[in-house]
Amino acid sequence: MLDLLRILQESALKALLSAETSAEIAQWQNLYLGRQDGELTKILRGLKDVPAADRKTIGQRANEVKNELEEQAELRKKAIAEQELVSALVAERLDVTLPARTLNSGYMHPISQTIYEICGIFQKLGFHVIEGPEVETDYYNFQALNIPQDHPARDMQDTFWVEPGQILLRTQTSPNQIRIMEQTKPPVRAVVPGKVYRNEATDATHEAMFHQIEGLAIDSSTTMRDLRGALEAFARELFGPQTKTRFRPSYFPFTEPSAEVDVTCNVCGGSGCRVCKFSGWVEIGGSGMVHPQVLRNVQYDPAVYRGYAFGIGVERIAMMRYGINEIRLFSQNDLRFLRQF
Amino acid sequence: MKVPYHWLKEYVSFDASPEELAEKLTMAGLEVESVEHVWNNIITARINHLEPVKGSSHLNATKIFTGEGRELSVVCGAPNIKEGDIVPLALPGAQFFNDAGETLTIQATKKMGVVSEGMLCSPRELGLSSDHEGIYILPNDTPLGVSLADAVIHLDIKAHRGDLFSMVGIAREMAALFGAKLKQPEIKLPEKGKNSIKKMASITVKAEDDCPRFTARVIRNIKMGKAPLWMAQRLALAGMRSINVIVDITNYVMLELGQPLHAFDYDKVANHHLIIRRAEPGETLGTLDGAMRELTPDMVLVCDESGPLSVAGVMGGASSEISSDTTQILLEAASWNPVNIRKTSAKLGLRSEASSRYEKGVDPELALQGLNRAAQLMAELAGGEIVPGYLESYAHPSPNVTIPFHASACEWLLGYSVTPEEAAGALRSLEFAVEQNSDDGSMLVTVPSWRGDILESADLVEEIARELGYDRITGKYPTGDAPEPQAANWFDIQYQFRRRLQQCGCAEIVTYPLTNQRSTLQLLTDESDTAQLLIGAVDELAPAEKGKKNNGKNKQKQQSAQSVSETYDQAIPPLSADELPAVRLVNAISAKMDMLRITLMNAMLETISANLRYGNASLRLFEIGRRYIALPNSERQLPDERRTLCVGLTGYTESWTEPRREYDFFDMKAIIENIAGGLHMTNLRFTQTQSPIFHPGRCALLEVEDSHAKESRFHTIGVMGEVHPIIAERFGISQRTYLCEIDLARLYLHNTPPRFQPISRYPALTRDIAVVADISVPAQTIADVIKASGGELTRSVTLFDVYMGDQIPEGKRSLAFTVEYQAQDRNLSDADGDFLREQTANELKKQVHAVVRE
Repeated sequence: MLDLLRILQESALKALLSAETSAEIAQWQNLYLGRQDGELTKILRGLKDVPAADRKTIGQRANEVKNELEEQAELRKKAIAEQELVSALVAERLDVTLPARTLNSGYMHPISQTIYEICGIFQKLGFHVIEGPEVETDYYNFQALNIPQDHPARDMQDTFWVEPGQILLRTQTSPNQIRIMEQTKPPVRAVVPGKVYRNEATDATHEAMFHQIEGLAIDSSTTMRDLRGALEAFARELFGPQTKTRFRPSYFPFTEPSAEVDVTCNVCGGSGCRVCKFSGWVEIGGSGMVHPQVLRNVQYDPAVYRGYAFGIGVERIAMMRYGINEIRLFSQNDLRFLRQF
Repeated sequence: MKVPYHWLKEYVSFDASPEELAEKLTMAGLEVESVEHVWNNIITARINHLEPVKGSSHLNATKIFTGEGRELSVVCGAPNIKEGDIVPLALPGAQFFNDAGETLTIQATKKMGVVSEGMLCSPRELGLSSDHEGIYILPNDTPLGVSLADAVIHLDIKAHRGDLFSMVGIAREMAALFGAKLKQPEIKLPEKGKNSIKKMASITVKAEDDCPRFTARVIRNIKMGKAPLWMAQRLALAGMRSINVIVDITNYVMLELGQPLHAFDYDKVANHHLIIRRAEPGETLGTLDGAMRELTPDMVLVCDESGPLSVAGVMGGASSEISSDTTQILLEAASWNPVNIRKTSAKLGLRSEASSRYEKGVDPELALQGLNRAAQLMAELAGGEIVPGYLESYAHPSPNVTIPFHASACEWLLGYSVTPEEAAGALRSLEFAVEQNSDDGSMLVTVPSWRGDILESADLVEEIARELGYDRITGKYPTGDAPEPQAANWFDIQYQFRRRLQQCGCAEIVTYPLTNQRSTLQLLTDESDTAQLLIGAVDELAPAEKGKKNNGKNKQKQQSAQSVSETYDQAIPPLSADELPAVRLVNAISAKMDMLRITLMNAMLETISANLRYGNASLRLFEIGRRYIALPNSERQLPDERRTLCVGLTGYTESWTEPRREYDFFDMKAIIENIAGGLHMTNLRFTQTQSPIFHPGRCALLEVEDSHAKESRFHTIGVMGEVHPIIAERFGISQRTYLCEIDLARLYLHNTPPRFQPISRYPALTRDIAVVADISVPAQTIADVIKASGGELTRSVTLFDVYMGDQIPEGKRSLAFTVEYQAQDRNLSDADGDFLREQTANELKKQVHAVVRE
């Protein structure tokens, strides 16, 4: 009986060593230690036929063998599990360069982005953002801005008329200067983004509909130096800290003195390139001190209040920022274009 | 305006290259668009020798002498040259104009075996005139080897500075800039003969308001012919063709001084009597350009006793035109009412060099100077005899404008201080007269007659700032009073919508708000009622009306499919296409863009269609813009501009991780729920509806619950669905496409800030429930009943299966939901679950005749 146990122990330990997977261990356990037909179980079951005198010794020995087999099985099991985990992880290697799962990402139109950026800069300078109607009256779009009927400056802006001489599509965001001043007392600081319309043939740099941002600041102390300072702060923030700003005398019926605003070309940095027509400067808009007649038109006393107004072309700035050479791309809405912003 | 560089030197001394001058002018407010170099490598030269080229019927081989060095060999085919002629010679590298007006470059070449080292030029080849009969033969005394090279400065003169449309006007600005003196052309008038002009001609000005000043002279015995090269050259550089010496002189003086002139053939003016009057109804005039013009009584004419001779300040008539037979000239220099000229010119569709100057205002003081200058040139260049005296009507000479001024006005506007001396000096350099009061720094400024744009102190500040240089206006960080901070407004709200939509994978588009009726009506399968296009366009009245009416209907009917207009736009009666409340343009750029949009949907479909053509097969697009609804019965009132969102969806989602899946209705619904939920408009519902734009079974009305009303009330905010295949086809789209249009103001009106719900410490109880109901009962209704029957305990109701077929009766379907219950104060038991299920089953049976499956 003891021999039987010894042989069993030897063969079981040998078999255990040859088991290489968790499944084989389980099989091994079933073969030797299984409750029903396990080899050791069978031997233990035979104990009842052993003479009572030997029974104790053999029983003890059988238990020892059982414990040892179980212990060895556990050790082997653990080793195999570790081995199996390692190979499983190796097998699960991913090619991390495979494309990502689709998480639809959208795009804001470059015109919207530019408007939000520009207005955001002025909001930080304490400006309100206000929007006004696109269908306007002749009074707000022209007359109140010191452009009476038959003024030659009307030629500068070909107008779409809804009712001739009365109602039109605004040619500029400037009518909101009047609307804002009519509705508020100074101090005023506001920017007005929006669509404007010109009855013009379209080409690579002209559209019949485009976007402007109007600026207006009125109080009792604001001068043209504040205007330049505001526009310099704006240009530096939008185009980078190295950007310089230049004022050129110009003419707008609703500002006096008037200035055209140029910034150093951010493509060539001012040394001259095709974008700036080799001048080093790019015009971004018109500006000036609000004309005293405009102030009088809204019952602001020009002896008490002063301030500036400016108008910035959004498309022009977007084209400069993103290096877009064709204005009509903005309204074509080709996804291959939109996806780039 | 084109300004020849060398011409300017006649009126002001300056030391600057054309480019330097351009920069200086630009920084003084005279914006230079470009600088063009012309006639490089073209010089004057003499034909020393001429002989026919052997074997050619018309070519001559010439030896040309340029005043120094060797003779050059040039082959020429023109018939009019002979030895000794002085001609313009284009050397290799020079550019000239061919028949088509194109620019070509001269190269050394060989013609029939003879070397040609240049080209002799005709007037047309130089761009002087259309004359190509032969080579331009210059006067015998022309010096040799003189370069014709010059530069043309292209200036963009602004409308308020009529005085700058002349060489002298620009030279005056330059004199101030360079600290030089303006040299006006010297006028010498060799008047000849005994008879004064009064005996030879007369003028009558009947329209004095339209004609502030009229002057005239008579020049006799002129010899018609060509203008000299220098004049033709300057005219050409300034953009005008040489015609004949008399016409050229009138154009030359206009360019030089800014005073337009008109020369009548004295002998063709009936009784030599000029009458300035308004046109009679029905009068016509054949103008110089060959057209017959119909005149209207608001137009001012220069006439003789038999009828109109010219449209004043715009264009002359053919009947009194200067011809080669002309020997006596009746010369006019006048000033006209700018507004009248502008209107006449617009009405006739006729703009001339003269009218474009008169429109901007020509100084009446200039008339006599211009008249005399032209008369002088006619005497000098055409051998004319100037008849003593001139005729004049100067009804209302304008008094000089004087402006009291103080140098402190500069600091007030410019932000830096200017001394009275600086201010006065700057103004004087521009020929303003300044009387300084040394006590208080004030001054009285007299404005020159040609500066009609200067009316008040601020205008003087600009002049001073220009002279001192705008660079002196240095920037400073804006200080001063700022307004109260602004509350969030639509600018910010729309930003949130855009961000949300972007997060939903949508790309923003910006389309033209200009469209046309045809494109808009293409959205409707049935055009009998176009009110369908006006989603959300009526105001709060409509939903209130709707609420009342629906109270009377039973629930079943309320839930059945109804058209958009029926369920919602009660306030809009059915509209025929002509009654669309659209804003229409009277002067549209094209018939395709003659009205403002009343919906964003057609532009969205056009954009989708274009993108499909570009090869972009899957599209998730949105636009946030305005629709423009004309208000009824409100002339002169501005339209309602309604902020609107449009979303368009077509194509599929596809990646290597999942199989391709076509976008469907529920993808669109997901976008809408995402933006509504993200902006706290959770009380949004979708109701089955019908609209002639959409698939009849795949269209939902979007409604939000009124957060302000006491009773539960829903307002329509938009519509969504699968585009009707017929409509899609019209836009060239052959795949399933989904559209949604939402009135943003209506949507946002009912947003509410989120309310915190306490998180229960007790576990949730989850039950699945399968409901069998008529197919016509909306899933939302069943979910609502389940939710309501659990009362406060219901946490969520989630649909997980829709089933029709085996075991489910015809016309019915099974909807399976997972319901989660949770109490704030206790564990829910299985008994609670059984009770809730029982209660839910009863409510479903009672309200929607549905059965809960065991």
